[in-house]
Amino acid sequence: MTKKILIVDDDPNITSYLTEFFEDNGYATCAAPDGREALDVAKKEKPDLITLDLEMPDEWGPRFYRKMSQDPEIKNTPVIVISGLSGNQYAIQKAVASISKPFDRDELIKIVRDTIGDAK
Amino acid sequence: MQNDAASGSVVAVDVNGTIGGIVGPLVLVEPEADLRDALEIHLTRLGLHVHKAGNGQAALNLLKEHSPSFLLANARLPDMSGIDLLRLSQAVSPNTAVIIMGDPADRKSALAALRLRASDYIHLPVESGHLEVALTRAAHWRTTRIKMQHYVEQLEALHQTKVLFQQLFDEVPCYISIQDKHFRLTGANRRFKEDFGDTIGSICYEVYKHRSQPCRDCPVMGTFEDGQPRQTEEVVTSKSGEKINVLTWTAPIHDASGQITQVMEMATDITQIRKLQSRLTSIGLLMSSISHSIKGLLTALDGAIYRLDSGLEKQDMDRVHDGADRVKEMVAQIRKMVLNVLYYTKERQLNWARINVRDFTRDVTSIIGPKAEAAGVTFTHNLSSGLGAFEVDPGALRSALINILENCIDACVDDGGDGKEHVVSLTVTDRDDHVVYKIQDNGMGMDQETREKMFTLFFSSKGSRGTGLGMFVADQIIGQHGGSIDVDSEPGSGSTFTVRLPRTLPQEIRRPADADTGEPEQSSHTE
Repeated sequence: MTKKILIVDDDPNITSYLTEFFEDNGYATCAAPDGREALDVAKKEKPDLITLDLEMPDEWGPRFYRKMSQDPEIKNTPVIVISGLSGNQYAIQKAVASISKPFDRDELIKIVRDTIGDAK
Repeated sequence: MQNDAASGSVVAVDVNGTIGGIVGPLVLVEPEADLRDALEIHLTRLGLHVHKAGNGQAALNLLKEHSPSFLLANARLPDMSGIDLLRLSQAVSPNTAVIIMGDPADRKSALAALRLRASDYIHLPVESGHLEVALTRAAHWRTTRIKMQHYVEQLEALHQTKVLFQQLFDEVPCYISIQDKHFRLTGANRRFKEDFGDTIGSICYEVYKHRSQPCRDCPVMGTFEDGQPRQTEEVVTSKSGEKINVLTWTAPIHDASGQITQVMEMATDITQIRKLQSRLTSIGLLMSSISHSIKGLLTALDGAIYRLDSGLEKQDMDRVHDGADRVKEMVAQIRKMVLNVLYYTKERQLNWARINVRDFTRDVTSIIGPKAEAAGVTFTHNLSSGLGAFEVDPGALRSALINILENCIDACVDDGGDGKEHVVSLTVTDRDDHVVYKIQDNGMGMDQETREKMFTLFFSSKGSRGTGLGMFVADQIIGQHGGSIDVDSEPGSGSTFTVRLPRTLPQEIRRPADADTGEPEQSSHTE
């Protein structure tokens, strides 16, 4: 089955960039503009990996992560933090990686492959 | 004089033989030597130290020399009347109690003596009991008088202290107000009244912030609740509409039972400091405040380039066009942000030229039209005829107007859907020696506080989307042109910005650019 990535970012330009990039690499995607919606989407879609922005309206990334880790269904989903905040490696310690914007997409796809393997 | 009654009839005689309170020197003025000596003996026995005189002048000399407690004088003296002596004594020794001895039939002297505030008038021949009573009363008169003087002095001192404290209260370089639990001002110093009006009895947030409701996290209410002083920084608005940055401290005022009945708020005007500081310290702040946006924009630009690249690779022309459009959009956004930052970080002079108002405005509308359309907002503009020319820095003024117009578009977008048709309109009119740009939207509008803080650096009502620079820069640019921005807005009913620009720049701004005029080409910030 095609592996699915949930993209959580409030900037639609960045969401569409990541969507396109992951899909070009064979992955399926879904997206959410804030932490609250991301929680619903994650439960419904059961993604294999989540990319998470930290600074978003309503629900911050770290709070989303906390709520997610309390949900047995999705708590083991690997998370890659993609954020504009500096020093973000401390925000979510269990994240498989923290990369800062603007990011190197080759590096990103390598981390994705290392974490969940190829798309199929 | 009947000596037999001497001390027997006296009320109180202490161990020294003195009558209570009757102490100190006494000047005795009696022309008749026998009576003088008899009285001296009697008075000395009462414990008084007697100085004798036979006439008024001699008595005056004694008064000057001794400032006695008492003066006992015959109403008839060889050189003056006892009444004259009484009058003169008041200048020489005001605290001396005066007893006049006179003829019981001489009512005129008796009245005159009492009118001149002699302590007593006793009849000749002097009866010892009568004299002692008169002396007791004189002693009492003296004590009362001295006490009165003391009280008057204290009162004066108190009054002076009060005046001093009032002066301090009024002249302290702060705004001081005292408020009750209902935000009502119960007291204010002169500086407060000068800048915010004589507002005793009115409501704090109305006077200070022109709001209709209490401010969120009101420090005064906080102090009422826990009795702790608080410190906050606020932007308040004077009665003339001037924005003032203040640092406020609150302190509780307790009544006798320890209850907090009122709270004092002291606000220091730090507008100047803010202005001075902002240029230096805020560059660092600026960087962190906008770095998030810039990182986001750069990432989105990467995305746009990726789309363009992958489109080219796949020979998918739709993708190529879409990618190219996105690249342009992102570059435009980054450009705008960088220009705002550059404008802010550099004290720049206006690169002004005399240009046609209509041409300039068309240029602005051609930029804003497509942006409004993309956001689903109708943009209309109306330029009255014969607008002529004005002296402006076209690059700077264009970005100021675009900042305001984009703000209006954002206000429409944030107002949400519900099928409401959102409109931003621009009207340009000619008012004597001014050109007036009226920019109106029917978006979400602003509350008073937002309206008053909107031109301050780093104030943004747009959360992470705003840098708090746009309107600040717009205000600076228009101010540099000698113009003004007025804002009229209510939550829910849109905003109107009225920008007035003089046709001719103020003299002090014209001069620096005089050297290199004749550059009608629109200059950009980066030059």
